[in-house]
Amino acid sequence: MRYLKGLLLLALLPLQQPRAQSVTIPMGVMTGLQFDVVRFRVPPGAHVKIVFTNTDDMNHNLLIVKPGMREQVVNEALQLGEKGPEADYIPASPNVLWALPVVAPEQVRTLEFTAPKTPDVYPFVCTYPGHGTVMYGAMYVTADTALPYLATDMNIPPQRRQDDISLEEKEVYHSGHHGHDMAALHPYETKAPYLYRVFIEGASPAAIAVCLPMQLAYCWDASACKLRFAWHGGFLDNSDLWKGKGDALAKVVGTKFFQDSTGYPLGGPGAEVRYKGYRLINRFPEFYYTVNGMHVYEMIKPKEDGSGIVRSFRIPGNTKPLVFHGENNEHMQMESSAGTWMGSTLQLSAAEAGAFSIIMTIKAH
Amino acid sequence: MRYFLPFIFLFSAICLHAQSYTVETIPMPPGLKAENGALAFFPDGRLVAAFTRGEIMTWHPRTRQWKLFAEGLHDPLGMLVVSNSEILVMQRPELTRIKDTDGDGSADLYENVTDAFGLTGNYHEFNYGPVKDKNGNLYIALNASSPNGRMRPEVRGTVNPDGRDSTDGRRQMFSAVPYRGWIMQLTPQGRLLPWASGFRSPNGIGFDLSGNLFTTDNQGDWVGTSPLYHVRKGRFYGHPASLVWTKGWKKGSPFALPVNELDSMRTKPVVLFPHGIIANSPTEPVVDNTKGKFGPFAGQLLIGEMNQERIVRVILEKVGGEWQGACIPFLDKQGLRKGNNRLVFGPDGSLYTGQSSHGWLGDDGIQRIVFTGKLQLDILRMSLTAKGFDLVFTQPVTAAALKPGNYHIRRYRYAYHKKYGSPQLDVQAIHIKSIKATPDGKRVSLALDGLAPGFVYEIKLDSITSRQGLPLVNKLICYTLNKLLTAPVVKPAVFAAADIAAGKRFVAASDCAACHRPDVKLVGPSYADISAKYAANEANVKRLAEKIIKGGSGVWGPVQMLPHSNMPVSDAQKIMKYILSL
Repeated sequence: MRYLKGLLLLALLPLQQPRAQSVTIPMGVMTGLQFDVVRFRVPPGAHVKIVFTNTDDMNHNLLIVKPGMREQVVNEALQLGEKGPEADYIPASPNVLWALPVVAPEQVRTLEFTAPKTPDVYPFVCTYPGHGTVMYGAMYVTADTALPYLATDMNIPPQRRQDDISLEEKEVYHSGHHGHDMAALHPYETKAPYLYRVFIEGASPAAIAVCLPMQLAYCWDASACKLRFAWHGGFLDNSDLWKGKGDALAKVVGTKFFQDSTGYPLGGPGAEVRYKGYRLINRFPEFYYTVNGMHVYEMIKPKEDGSGIVRSFRIPGNTKPLVFHGENNEHMQMESSAGTWMGSTLQLSAAEAGAFSIIMTIKAH
Repeated sequence: MRYFLPFIFLFSAICLHAQSYTVETIPMPPGLKAENGALAFFPDGRLVAAFTRGEIMTWHPRTRQWKLFAEGLHDPLGMLVVSNSEILVMQRPELTRIKDTDGDGSADLYENVTDAFGLTGNYHEFNYGPVKDKNGNLYIALNASSPNGRMRPEVRGTVNPDGRDSTDGRRQMFSAVPYRGWIMQLTPQGRLLPWASGFRSPNGIGFDLSGNLFTTDNQGDWVGTSPLYHVRKGRFYGHPASLVWTKGWKKGSPFALPVNELDSMRTKPVVLFPHGIIANSPTEPVVDNTKGKFGPFAGQLLIGEMNQERIVRVILEKVGGEWQGACIPFLDKQGLRKGNNRLVFGPDGSLYTGQSSHGWLGDDGIQRIVFTGKLQLDILRMSLTAKGFDLVFTQPVTAAALKPGNYHIRRYRYAYHKKYGSPQLDVQAIHIKSIKATPDGKRVSLALDGLAPGFVYEIKLDSITSRQGLPLVNKLICYTLNKLLTAPVVKPAVFAAADIAAGKRFVAASDCAACHRPDVKLVGPSYADISAKYAANEANVKRLAEKIIKGGSGVWGPVQMLPHSNMPVSDAQKIMKYILSL
């Protein structure tokens, strides 16, 4: 949303500009050492007011410097050494035009000045130690209403040139559609099956997302010890997750055909589960966990024709009959290799429960 | 000859300024986002490294080939090697045992070793470790959660809202699920026990050679400048959030406690890294265990720094029973990059540094630092004295070291408060009263005006050179003065000098040193402690000499003092005269 804010601002300015010649910029901080408004435009000689709210958990200052002088000012700030804190990391330099001292998290400070008469690109930057090389943006002093194309704007940090949809588009990985123009995600070609431990919507923070062959994928939860959801048509977009320190989630690429309900499939409500780990067998993970002390192994593979998934359970040495709580929905149909269904509940004899499969078939639309 | 002279000049100039360390960059495999989170060595000499996107890769220093060992992990930020086919890896959801059971070189078994701690899904919940103590216990460190992030609707662990400050709208790191902000002990039986609390972002834990556990933390709320802590069981280190998980905690929101109460509860850092001066984001402490292969700093701690092209060295000493000491740049620039996140010594005694810019700044990849064998002029040790500090140099220094003008000394302190970071407070220039040097030119003693606990003493050195003309490589050192030396009690000489001298000889010739040392407690009390306890008089000499001969226990604890029945009474009495004169 903050990316959008920057763009919206650009769109609004032309409306304000002709009479007022006064511009107010609401400035915040995004995680990953970035000003949320990465560039903005002001008319020459306009009255400019930057309302800087430090929405980060770190200290930041804000300096507006002479065109082309950003790196030099960052270096001058570093030269302050131990005198930095008392100077708010603002070097006494003719290259610094205007500056806000260090703003602590949650604080708001306002910088007001009259924009230069000379149209040019005036960098703004945080010179708090270590921030200056990445935390910067550009103030365009220009009478024009248009700014250069974002993707090729060399006055803003490289990662911001891909703001909005472009970054996500670039790094989306579709299983089985590994285009040649895509940046490599790993030092090897990913080959299904493979998995990621990820933060993902619809599961606990201890989730395991598995990419299966034939455009199928599922999320198994190592906290709840059960299948949480399954989908087809792709795998994951981890670009937000991997980008940095933001609170990001992996995104499902494709269409979900199953999302668990609140019940637990084995052992009944309130079952005590313990996650033990997984073993890769021909690269397919077989999960191992205990349910009320019973040792359960679960492996999920695609159906042979790719029309759904097969969940194979093993409970070695099982001596008791077992109930499996299934669930059907309009996208998927559940069947089993053994036992008797009573509605959505599968009754398994002790012998049947030793090894059985649940087959989930995607309904054709 | 004309050609020759400049050549000689050039050659000697190179010799004089030859660096002690060279930095080599390890080529990374193409396609790898080389944000390094963990670094270790297999017993067979292969380097094993973990990266943000979940890869664990091995690299052989001889073949220089990279190979994939494991994949799919969630922000692996710590690793302990078990064998050539097995590692323990700390990732977000758990500590995982990763094993290649079929010998094909890639892992196939991922076992949950422990996941007995909470997760809210907040991005800041990074986990570090494990490191192993002599008894086989493992230690892991769990970050507090960031106010800049959220809690997911579905969390792991019981939620305690008291661990999250919402009283005054200020945003501080929080601990809403068990043991965020704690260092935990995992017993060999697999029980995960809370060990020490009060951490914010302890990115890196490690042992010294004597088995003391240390961790760094990062500047922020309640952390005025980044510290190094000596981690001990049951101690609290300053960030309040984690206190809610203290056994029997009944004080509600720890954020509501008065600052002075929190301050009195906390154990202070052994070393402060002044922000913007020494380090902004210190990372993993690793002890130089190379016995000299890596240069003159054996036994000292090296600590990575994310924000600068720097690795920091820490020099510790025990004062009043607690560690404190100095930090000094170890390696600055010289080809070293930023982002130094993980350090590990290779089998050949070279230091590998794993770098990461993840969500931050710096560089990615791995570099190797090799000791060239050339000794530079550096500060080997800094120690507190009754009047100031002693600096011990790696080489004899010239008389320039006796000029007060060549030292610029300041002291300052940092506030303990909920605000993010702290400015330097009570900054004061410190005047040098006198400077002495030992005849060998290696130890310089500075007597200072205004030696007080609670301050960082920052010394900048100028124009100091070795007698061979080498310049001082690191000219800045900061000592965190928590405790002063206890003032030495000047005892009037009550015994004959000859008796004292003889006593000293007898101590050296006997087995005393098996249990006693002049100033540290070993099995038995130190001589200084004995001297402090008993007045120097003939009655005590007689009484204690008898103890030496007959042995005993109870006065200093239950440990038995061995009898020395063959020792002549007159010898034992002279020993006591010597000890009580200390």
